[in-house]
Amino acid sequence: MNLIRLILLSLFIFTQSQADTIYNLIKIPNLEIYEINSSNKLRYLYAKQPFTIGIDNNINCFDSEKKVLDKKYKIIKKNFNRYNQKFLKKINLKYIVLCEDLSISKINTAGIPDNVMKTLILDIKFDEKYFERVIHHEVFHIINDSFKEIFDEKIWSNFNMKDFRYAKCSTCTNKLGLDTYSNTDGFFTEYSQSTASEDMAEVFSHLMIGTDLNNIDPILKKKIQFIKKNLLKIDENFIL
Amino acid sequence: MIKKIKASRSEKIIFIFIIILALFSFGSFLLIKDKCLFVKDYDTKKIHFDSPENIAILNVPCGNVIIELYPNISPNSVKRFVTLVNSKAYDDVAFHRVIKGALVQAGDLEFGKRGSVNYGKIGTGKSGLGTINSEVDKPFNFDKGTVALARTQKYNTEDSQFFIILKDEPLYETEYTPIGKVIYGLKALEKIKYLDKSQYVLRPDYINSIRMLIN
Repeated sequence: MNLIRLILLSLFIFTQSQADTIYNLIKIPNLEIYEINSSNKLRYLYAKQPFTIGIDNNINCFDSEKKVLDKKYKIIKKNFNRYNQKFLKKINLKYIVLCEDLSISKINTAGIPDNVMKTLILDIKFDEKYFERVIHHEVFHIINDSFKEIFDEKIWSNFNMKDFRYAKCSTCTNKLGLDTYSNTDGFFTEYSQSTASEDMAEVFSHLMIGTDLNNIDPILKKKIQFIKKNLLKIDENFIL
Repeated sequence: MIKKIKASRSEKIIFIFIIILALFSFGSFLLIKDKCLFVKDYDTKKIHFDSPENIAILNVPCGNVIIELYPNISPNSVKRFVTLVNSKAYDDVAFHRVIKGALVQAGDLEFGKRGSVNYGKIGTGKSGLGTINSEVDKPFNFDKGTVALARTQKYNTEDSQFFIILKDEPLYETEYTPIGKVIYGLKALEKIKYLDKSQYVLRPDYINSIRMLIN
């Protein structure tokens, strides 16, 4: 019995010290390594316990059951494997934090990108219907944040109809629908109409999951060209 | 006539117990006072090195720490480190950041010198030689004893500060620039002064010297 206690205690000590290393690197507590030997050198971390971060502790996320984590990880890894190590280094993405019920200021969100800390927090319980797409959507925010000068929002906004205006922020509007329109009319989804940055992320994510582009409108065609052209500026070998 | 009094068995046991207690107390006093008591000091003259030109000897309060540098892995960073070693810039510089059992960090040449430590700014000092680019692309195992250059949150901000890890840190690969590994004397680093409640050390231990084996 004592031996078992000793083993449990030593595991606890090891876990804590490893967790401290992660905290020192990305300033998120209560994380542990899920997988670090991925081919593109992404480091997958998971919430061992709920964590709270951000200004006024406004970002919250919770730990998951292992079987949920194992199931979702396969999907997550498959999608992140689309990006090679060189590209990830350029855009400044290295750590993927897996947790559930992610929220910012009590608003549920699929992911929180932070290119400064090289981290993307992902809600692994986000609606399965859109889950793979939102992975790429959030990756685009990392790309955009790292290359603001390339993805000029003024140029982008000029692709839209003259009377169209984006909202001031993605949560300042009720346009939150993520279903892909059958009749695009300049936007892939309702959420695309929230802000220029969300619109770009929606275009990018639709391209990444191979959405059928046969019946899209001229505005969206221009937007797609803009995204493709600028991604090649970052990495001439980038494949959509 | 004085009669000899024989000690009873229990008196003998108490006497032996007192002797043992005295020895234990004296021994403990010595052990507590000398933190380096069981630390082996390595003499470089008695060790054969395959690449003696890449050997640096870091002398700390508990003895010598022998580091093998890896110029093939991070040529510019090793060059910077050797430049500072050869100019004796690291002598009398504090181990200002120490995490027990995890790492020791030193090399703030501006705010970490013995006699003029600036506790408000230590860890932010520069060498005056400018920053250098990170060299993190080559595969490297960050196992116990790895010596690496410290940096700010951003890459390409390495200068003179370096750290040595006291446990395996696989997450540090591609994060920090490795410059070498401790091949002898890690125990001396485990005795560097640390604080339980802070990574930054008040009245820290200092590097006595760092020298290349071959100048």
